[in-house]
Amino acid sequence: MELRINGQDYDVDVPENEMLVWAIRDTIGLTGTKYGCGIGMCGSCTVHIDGEAMRSCVTPVQTVEGKEITTIEGLVSIDADGNEVLHPIQQAFIDEQVPQCSWCMSGQMMTATAFLTENPKPTEEEIKDAMNNNYCRCGCYVRIKSAVARASEMMEDNS
Amino acid sequence: MTDNSQVNNVQTPSRRRFTRRGFLKVLGIGTGGLIVGAVVGGPTIVREARLAINQAFLTGSLPTPAGPESPMMWFEITPDNQATLYMPKIEMGQGIHTTLAQIAADELELDWETITVKSPDTGSEFDPQLVFTFGSTSTISLYQPIREIGATMRHMLHVECADQLGVSVDTLTSENSVITSGDTSKTYGEIIADKVGEWVIPEETIALKSAEEFRYIGKSVKRVDFYDKLTGKAIYGYDAKLPNMAYGAVARPPRIGATLSKANKGTADAQPGVIAVVIEDNFAGIVAEHRSQAYAALEFLDLEWEGGTTVNQQDILDIVTVKDEGGILIQREGDVDSNITTGTQVKAEYRTAMAVHAHLEPQGALVDVQGDKITVYTATQSPALPRDAIAAALDVEPDSILVIPTYIGGGFGRKFGSDVGVEAAYLSRAVGRPVHVGWNRPEDMRYGQFRPPVHNVLTASIENGEVLAVEHQLASGDVFFFVQELSGATFFETVLGADPLAAFGSLLIYDFPHRQTIYHRAKLPIPTAFWRGLGTFPNTFAVETFMDELANATDMNPMDFRLKYLPPDELGARMKAVLERVGEMSDWYGDVQDGRAKGLALSYDRGTVSATVMECSIEDDAVRSHRAWCVADPGFVVNPDGATAQVQGTIVMALSSVYHESITVENGMIQNENFNTYPLIRMNDVPDIEVDFVNSGDTPVGGMGEPVIGTVPAAVSNAIFALNGQRIRELPIQLV
Repeated sequence: MELRINGQDYDVDVPENEMLVWAIRDTIGLTGTKYGCGIGMCGSCTVHIDGEAMRSCVTPVQTVEGKEITTIEGLVSIDADGNEVLHPIQQAFIDEQVPQCSWCMSGQMMTATAFLTENPKPTEEEIKDAMNNNYCRCGCYVRIKSAVARASEMMEDNS
Repeated sequence: MTDNSQVNNVQTPSRRRFTRRGFLKVLGIGTGGLIVGAVVGGPTIVREARLAINQAFLTGSLPTPAGPESPMMWFEITPDNQATLYMPKIEMGQGIHTTLAQIAADELELDWETITVKSPDTGSEFDPQLVFTFGSTSTISLYQPIREIGATMRHMLHVECADQLGVSVDTLTSENSVITSGDTSKTYGEIIADKVGEWVIPEETIALKSAEEFRYIGKSVKRVDFYDKLTGKAIYGYDAKLPNMAYGAVARPPRIGATLSKANKGTADAQPGVIAVVIEDNFAGIVAEHRSQAYAALEFLDLEWEGGTTVNQQDILDIVTVKDEGGILIQREGDVDSNITTGTQVKAEYRTAMAVHAHLEPQGALVDVQGDKITVYTATQSPALPRDAIAAALDVEPDSILVIPTYIGGGFGRKFGSDVGVEAAYLSRAVGRPVHVGWNRPEDMRYGQFRPPVHNVLTASIENGEVLAVEHQLASGDVFFFVQELSGATFFETVLGADPLAAFGSLLIYDFPHRQTIYHRAKLPIPTAFWRGLGTFPNTFAVETFMDELANATDMNPMDFRLKYLPPDELGARMKAVLERVGEMSDWYGDVQDGRAKGLALSYDRGTVSATVMECSIEDDAVRSHRAWCVADPGFVVNPDGATAQVQGTIVMALSSVYHESITVENGMIQNENFNTYPLIRMNDVPDIEVDFVNSGDTPVGGMGEPVIGTVPAAVSNAIFALNGQRIRELPIQLV
């Protein structure tokens, strides 16, 4: 079957009912999307399906054929000189020095970018509600909240 | 009761002084770059101080030491002016690579942008004990040796640069990997490229910078590992890939400790994608083209299990209970037995539940067995452990195994890579292909080594409004003893009696005339071992809640109570400074918003003094923590923002345990399976956190990754008492 990920088409051969997280990580090799629980609870595996944040560990591959899938690797853009340019959310996570182990951070950023597209100027309470279903075991929540707010400002300045 | 107080080494009351120096060495053979490293000379590491002189050049590959000594760490600068720092510690999220790089960059005057930090693999012959990333010891153990290597290497570059420019060494200054003399300057890389002849390590000890000259040390330098982590490029044990790899899954026992009495392939090898069914001694696993296929095929194995524990939750509580008799005396000041029944008695019991680490990256390893050459990629806090475990399992020499440690997606005391590494090794050997084994969440939650459940009983006598005597008795599942038994050694068990790591946080540090601590070993059929903070979390919860109870019993403000009973020594002075600072920050004596109250707790753990104030309320029958103030004194703080992050994370992880975390057992099996039955704290339940540090010296003396953790449960418990008079004596919190 064909999967379209970060603007590229991949011809993948996976078992029936394979969950998207394994197709992305194991078959295609984009390991920036992380596995954490397999029941859609922790949020580490969050990717965008047609712009919407979804848990790839409970999303069967068959259901996303033909859809635009974006992973953490797709957030970076390439400028005219061929250099990587970070997405504002990534820059904000660096500026706020958010991660510790960082296993959950791809999912945090994918959740945050989908949320900021829907709600570009959120209040602190809205940020907390939007990010509340992504676990961070290292306990970086205080900084995640600040970084999402900072990314919102950066994206506003850019637009 | 065994009197073993004379060998108590749980915590040293006095500040440690670091005078040790590694042996410096130019490592490697060839041409191209400059590599200088410190070499550990066996048992002399602690006290011997001498400079070794050697010379050599870069080979381009990892250097191996010529002598029997193992390199402790080494720094390499290449002609392109890039610096690579080989550090003997694993980055597990705590920011240690950044902190150690700061120390090196300062003395070596490196351009921060040129630095790459690398972890040690087992082929580089690092001392395994040193690499073991554990116990909040990394910074304090490496601070001095890193500075000495850096200063020596910079001096060598100065001497060489002076030669090349034909000027006196005295005229040179260096900054950002560039040496300048008047109008002329050369980068380190250029100096190395222009080098003719041999590098010589100076005979004399090079003077280190004074604190005023620091450019990186003591500053909030940004983390070196974030770009890769935030773009999805960083490779963890669960991410490791090699060409032609396959995936493995392993059958798990239905009861902890059960072994295979029968293991046949059944119809597993006929299932889709299955490459091989692998049966070894007490091991049955599947190799398949896809991970999901390997797991699906497990169901078709023909297995029978025998033995194992049938323990239930009530049995565990019974085992982990302070008994009337026995125990090991691990602290004795004055004469508790004669004074504990004088005057008024206060007694309280506390319990802390069993918990799992729940690092979000489950155990993962990729192993490639190719004849007598074995390569292992795994997330491990100690690369020597999976090497030795795999060597024993496959009956091969440890030297034939190269363990390459990856980034760690959370460890908290559980990431050794040994069990999952052995599993992948069995499977890879059977199929001759690289095999990755990555546990799923239920496996990770059930088949680990847990934070032991603990029972604490505290008793005090009060006479004329003064605390006269305090006794602390604790019963804990094993921490250190479990690991020790795995290695077959019983030395510490026999000689020490008490598990030193389970006893962390249990000693009574306040200046009561009579005090003692008695440890009871609770040997459980469920494996328990390291969990962030070790004994500090449960024991500080109990002791510091009891201090609050004593403050109440003597009609004192909890802050005043602690200040009154400070020990009359340097530790007491540090405790006072920390208490006063956290009192200021939290406006301790001021008014609190209606419906909220504040609680205070203090900790002295592995050199670090810390105190936390929590402001809590009860909403919808649940405790909410609104604000937290924490002050820590770990001596000198190398990276304030990194240390702040560690404190913030520790407070959040502690609160998760305070609110939610409890592993329970029925019929020998862990009942929790995933986060739906073992929830963690979420963003909405995290308080605002303010952190400050007291720099009580010019050298780091205490760890930062764990010590604060014990203050949090007690501060919450004490806040709830201040709010409504209810004493929380059990974790996780159950409001009545």
